[in-house]
Amino acid sequence: MRSDSELVTGHGPRGGRTAVRAARLVGLLALIALVIAFPSMAPDSFILSVGVVIMSYAVLATSWNFVGGFTGYVSLGHASYSGLGGYATALLILRADVNPWVAMILAGLIVAAIAVPVGIASLRVRGASFVIVSIALVLILLLVFQSWGTFTGGSNGLRIPRPFSDDVLRPEQHERFFYLHAALLAVALLCWWAINRSRFGIGLKAIREDEDKAQSLGVPTFAYKLVVFVISAFFTALAGGLYALWFGFLDPIFQFSILVGAYMVLMSLLGGIRSLFGPLLGAVIVGYAMEFFKAQYGDTQAHLIAMGALLGVVVLFMPDGIIPALTNLVNRLRPQAASIRELSAAELAEQRREAEAADDTKEEVHR
Amino acid sequence: MSTDAGRSLETEGLTKSFGGVRAVDGASVSFHHGKVNALIGPNGSGKTTFFNCVTGMIRPDSGTASYRGRDITRKPPHWIARAGIGRSFQLCRIFPRMTVLENMLVSVRPRTLLARIVSARQRADMERARELLTRVGIDHLENTEARDLSYGQQKLLELAGVLMAGPETIMLDEPAGGVNPALIERIGSLVRSLNAEGKTFLIVEHNMDMVMSLSDHVVVFDRGRPIAEGTPDEVRADPRVLEAYLGI
Repeated sequence: MRSDSELVTGHGPRGGRTAVRAARLVGLLALIALVIAFPSMAPDSFILSVGVVIMSYAVLATSWNFVGGFTGYVSLGHASYSGLGGYATALLILRADVNPWVAMILAGLIVAAIAVPVGIASLRVRGASFVIVSIALVLILLLVFQSWGTFTGGSNGLRIPRPFSDDVLRPEQHERFFYLHAALLAVALLCWWAINRSRFGIGLKAIREDEDKAQSLGVPTFAYKLVVFVISAFFTALAGGLYALWFGFLDPIFQFSILVGAYMVLMSLLGGIRSLFGPLLGAVIVGYAMEFFKAQYGDTQAHLIAMGALLGVVVLFMPDGIIPALTNLVNRLRPQAASIRELSAAELAEQRREAEAADDTKEEVHR
Repeated sequence: MSTDAGRSLETEGLTKSFGGVRAVDGASVSFHHGKVNALIGPNGSGKTTFFNCVTGMIRPDSGTASYRGRDITRKPPHWIARAGIGRSFQLCRIFPRMTVLENMLVSVRPRTLLARIVSARQRADMERARELLTRVGIDHLENTEARDLSYGQQKLLELAGVLMAGPETIMLDEPAGGVNPALIERIGSLVRSLNAEGKTFLIVEHNMDMVMSLSDHVVVFDRGRPIAEGTPDEVRADPRVLEAYLGI
């Protein structure tokens, strides 16, 4: 058991860790409170709808981060899964008369099943090759959904009936969907957290660091990558389905867009792919910035230029993302945090002692 | 070593070409179970390629490899690892942005789905990891990120990680490469004590002092195939070995 004095003073590594844990809990509760309070704080329906968009981005980025964060495989083509999730949800409702919420879950499962062969094919290649392969599927799906007009609605788009009855007014719709997105985000975060601390997660992180080495230690790397890829596609598809139910309209050009996949990557990198809340933070910043630029400069491409500049800044100054950069800063300010130098000094002394001891025994042997 | 129980790693006509170069050229070798085996040879004689073929990192063009009588040719690396062969890499490979303790936990092998989704920090695993870290002498660094270790410490971590997987045979690719004499001494004594506990070793090494003092059985490679084998003394006296190394 931890003693109270440790908790109060916060000295020593264990006391420091307790303080960090307490700070984290407070932060988490504040975050939850903020999310719950947001709809009632939003001044108008437009701001609330921006909140829904940002939440949707947060779910997408967090879902992307199952592959990106754990295995380090950068997929630029995750719009395939959000797009397919949206279309599968819509088509199940329109063509098979399935209940909207059931349709959304079914769509997630269908996309997960599709992700199995896609993963088997694409996870064979690493690095830049994987990035290119991941884009291919988006382009194929864009052509298919544009051309197959009789089934998908083609370039005219597809209108989806609202899941709530017509007497639920617009702001109320936004509020409900904001909370639904938040709930989906919570489930995705919980799942990411559970994997992160599991043996499965350790194996995945080892793949990110050095795939061959992980395999030589007995990690079945291909199976691990495939499982997490399918989980990622599942959550991405749910996010796509939920967004479709809220927005009520799908157009292939926006659903199967490289840009959507690129946003997921940018948001995750910005916040930090190795942090649980990294993609969420990135989604809030990028999502807000995007809406701001669109509101300020209308339908120009200004927001894309801004995104490009932001990505440049991230890569140059915070290659690990905002959260790790901030954590490092905090650690530097905390005096009790054990620095590497302190450790290596102690360790040098120990090495010297050991070397002396080894020399003694060697001399004895020689005698 | 004719009984099945004494059989360790064996290859028959193993061949691997890169372009026009036959890096491993029909190598038929057998190593001894329970012994410290060494694989030596001039630079470019195919030792590391042989290593990689045997551990599944690259696929041989032809020939077979078996371990304790079991065929391991063209099996994936994790399968071979599970068959009981652990290996280190030339120039040392660790997981840089994971802590020393996490590096160790990668080697834990969960067998069931449930065992995979439980927390990685199981008490029994952590204790075993700490024991091994103590044994190699870097237990005080368990919460340090592996990239912040010195090169020598990284080598020790790699060895501890291999041991954590619980192999009965350990293949070390240049364990003495780029480390100071005191550490070579430490690695040598670790090999000796682990061998006394029954671990088989297969060591690729250029440091002749280390090879000659540690090994029971030495195989000499030249141009992708064995040209001599025997005890360190036999090999040292072999004219073919002198020719391969010194060109006389």
